[in-house]
Amino acid sequence: MYVEMEEIIVSKIAIATDSNSGITQKLAGELGVFVLPMPFTIDGATFFEDINLSTEEFFEALDQDKDVMTSQPNPVDLTEFWDSILKEYDSIVYIPMSSGLSGSCQTAMMLAEEYEGRVQVVDNQRISVTMRHSIEDAQQLIELGYDAAAIKQILEEDRFRSSIYIMLDTLYYLKKGGRITPAAAALGTILRLKPVLQIQGEKLDAYAKARTVTQAKTIMTNAIQNDIEKRFSGDYRDMKISIAYTRNIDAAIAFREELKAVFPEAEINIDHLSLSVSCHIGAGALALACSCRLHKPPVR
Amino acid sequence: MAANKIDSTLLQMMFVAGAKSLESKKEWINELNVFPVPDGDTGTNMTLTIMSAAREVVSLAQPDMPTLCKAISSGSLRGARGNSGVILSQLLRGFTKVVKEYEEIDIEILCTAMQRAVETAYKAVMKPKEGTILTVARGMAEMAVKLQESKVTDMKVFLQKVLEEGDATLARTPELLPVLKQAGVVDSGGQGLMEALRGAMDAFNGKEVDFNLDGGTANAGVATQAKVNIKYEYNTEFMIRLDKPFNIKNEIDFKEYLETIGESVRVSADENAVKVRICTNDPGFAIQRALKYGSLTNIQIDNLKFAQEKLQQTHENAKPISGSGTEAACVAQSVPEERKPFGFISVSVGNGISEIFTGLGVDCIIEGGQTMNPSTEDMLNAIAKVNADTIFILPNNKNIVLAANQAASLTEDKKVIVIPTKTIPQGITAAVNFVPDASAEENQTVMEEEAERVKSGEVTYAVRDTVIDEKEIHQGDFMGIGDRGILAVGTQKDAVTLDMIRNMIDEDSELISIYYGCDVTEDEAEALRASVESTFDSCDVELQQGGQPIYSYIVSVE
Repeated sequence: MYVEMEEIIVSKIAIATDSNSGITQKLAGELGVFVLPMPFTIDGATFFEDINLSTEEFFEALDQDKDVMTSQPNPVDLTEFWDSILKEYDSIVYIPMSSGLSGSCQTAMMLAEEYEGRVQVVDNQRISVTMRHSIEDAQQLIELGYDAAAIKQILEEDRFRSSIYIMLDTLYYLKKGGRITPAAAALGTILRLKPVLQIQGEKLDAYAKARTVTQAKTIMTNAIQNDIEKRFSGDYRDMKISIAYTRNIDAAIAFREELKAVFPEAEINIDHLSLSVSCHIGAGALALACSCRLHKPPVR
Repeated sequence: MAANKIDSTLLQMMFVAGAKSLESKKEWINELNVFPVPDGDTGTNMTLTIMSAAREVVSLAQPDMPTLCKAISSGSLRGARGNSGVILSQLLRGFTKVVKEYEEIDIEILCTAMQRAVETAYKAVMKPKEGTILTVARGMAEMAVKLQESKVTDMKVFLQKVLEEGDATLARTPELLPVLKQAGVVDSGGQGLMEALRGAMDAFNGKEVDFNLDGGTANAGVATQAKVNIKYEYNTEFMIRLDKPFNIKNEIDFKEYLETIGESVRVSADENAVKVRICTNDPGFAIQRALKYGSLTNIQIDNLKFAQEKLQQTHENAKPISGSGTEAACVAQSVPEERKPFGFISVSVGNGISEIFTGLGVDCIIEGGQTMNPSTEDMLNAIAKVNADTIFILPNNKNIVLAANQAASLTEDKKVIVIPTKTIPQGITAAVNFVPDASAEENQTVMEEEAERVKSGEVTYAVRDTVIDEKEIHQGDFMGIGDRGILAVGTQKDAVTLDMIRNMIDEDSELISIYYGCDVTEDEAEALRASVESTFDSCDVELQQGGQPIYSYIVSVE
């Protein structure tokens, strides 16, 4: 039985994720991965990211202070999503958003129990660009001949080998959504600040604050450099470095230019932050993230 | 008195006489401030510093030399406020370090002590500037050596010559420091030092010394905790708008008359108006007399007795942080039971700005940065209240940095790091840039760098006519003062503010923050914000209620 399974798994493995990875349906096609659109409601009506709501429409709704809420994927939608993939593939490595930020990972794990190991749910506590890094790693692992269960294990071992800093233009949405730790809430003063939050593993927490975008970019750059120096290998070339943004791609491009001075040889990717993430942080956010490359895992 | 040597009894008398002499000249020394801003003044700062020591000194009955020296040194170190106060306290510290070893001081010991005093004071200042109290002290120490080498053996002659050299050096300070020359004054700290020494010299010469320190402290409007007997009850201030010329003779006559009915008389005149201040029991007489010269405006009469009683009550009720009696107070902080890794102390002015600092996580606010510089002791008390391994102090005023440094060096059980912020905006930026996850050293570096990057500007009014940075300033003009001098002068507050901002801004500027003072209404501030926004449309503009006195607007550009 076990041997049979393994033979099947080796033959055809799909990689699936949700739209929190920042991967659009179009990009998913190009990358050969499957993306489950995250649902959210605007004034009570349900929409699916990148399916029946555009980025512009979404931000307009936010600007108009409409009631925008995210929710977990419906269990039926998720199993149908898996079922349709399994028509063509033998197993799935499913990488949902961090269990620290949403219950959807937990739900997926529970649902996967019914699939007798054909769906491997990876709980590696990533979000956005670092989640995308994981997906790239999974692709690489498939090429190297690992099966889905092994891929899950490797990715989960890597969970803390990434770091994200996000500068928000405002704390408004985070407060509104109730997704704010006491420490981050304490940042709220009468002074207009650009808070810089961090995601290390499952925790989303306050890191620092700035008054201007320039200050915030300096803080994020120093923080990533410091992480590479102290937590990772010490060489930025061992890292994948990415920028993410909400609704301000020009700022992201400018930031990449500035980062060339710090990481001259890095190929810095720019991704948009998914709408379901944007919903909690609003427009004008800028993130800098890194994760360790797979082929040279750092010594813990 | 044989008096070729100074024993501890004589030194005690000389010190008290010196302190009293400095105090009596306090107002006059205040007038020597270069910037015509109604600011924390040298005379007041030095007086409070030396009085803190004098209070300890008078309480000693026939002290021996080590006890007396300890009182002088620790009293002045703790009471030190303002840069000149800190330097004075360091001079005294260095001096007493030498003399405490001897029962009697002769010329040779005095010579060594003076050298040591100067060395100690120079070391306390990061970038010693010539043309200041330091230069005056050094001039005297050098003369002392010369006199000793030329075998002067008479103490009186020795002291006399040293004082003469001090006066001569003081007179040269405008040649060394161009700002003094432009303003037409000598260095106020140097002047303060000479006044103290002159008092000490008088005591040496046998002039009787009154050990009662109470006289005259109330008239400065400064609260001291020592029981003050108020001789004249009403602090009276007003302005005369002249309807005929007010010549020197008028001025002398008027002053003489006022001195017969009160004390602490100040009369300052320009072409159009005379500003008058007197402490008296008969304000009516002063007003009656003034009416001869013109019509009166801005009349203000305060009852000093009531004010003092009220103050004492507040002190008793509120358990002030300060033993030396400043306006400083630690706000609403219950000491946390667990020691935190990091704590913050910030000097602040105005309710709005204090609220901003508290919101940024500052544990202890010391109020009263501008009109009253907090003393080293105020800082020490705040440090005691903040239960943290490392405490950052934000002095937010260039005249408070040294007192903070001094407090840091006097603290042993906690690591105290002074971020030398010179303005409120620098302090806010430093506090904003603090990162709890980073180390003390990393934070210190980032906070110092970011604070350095902010440009600050302050709008206030001139208290007298002067010329600074080749700009002619008239009393009552508005001035925009930047980090490196005066940026704008004029009669219209908003125009001066805009002009000042124009001189602060460059192509990298992103954010203009405006903190409006207690003399500005919200509507006025909003109007200013609108014109700043339209004038500098590439920047974000943020308006905050600061509530600070003296400065109508504090502005930062970053």
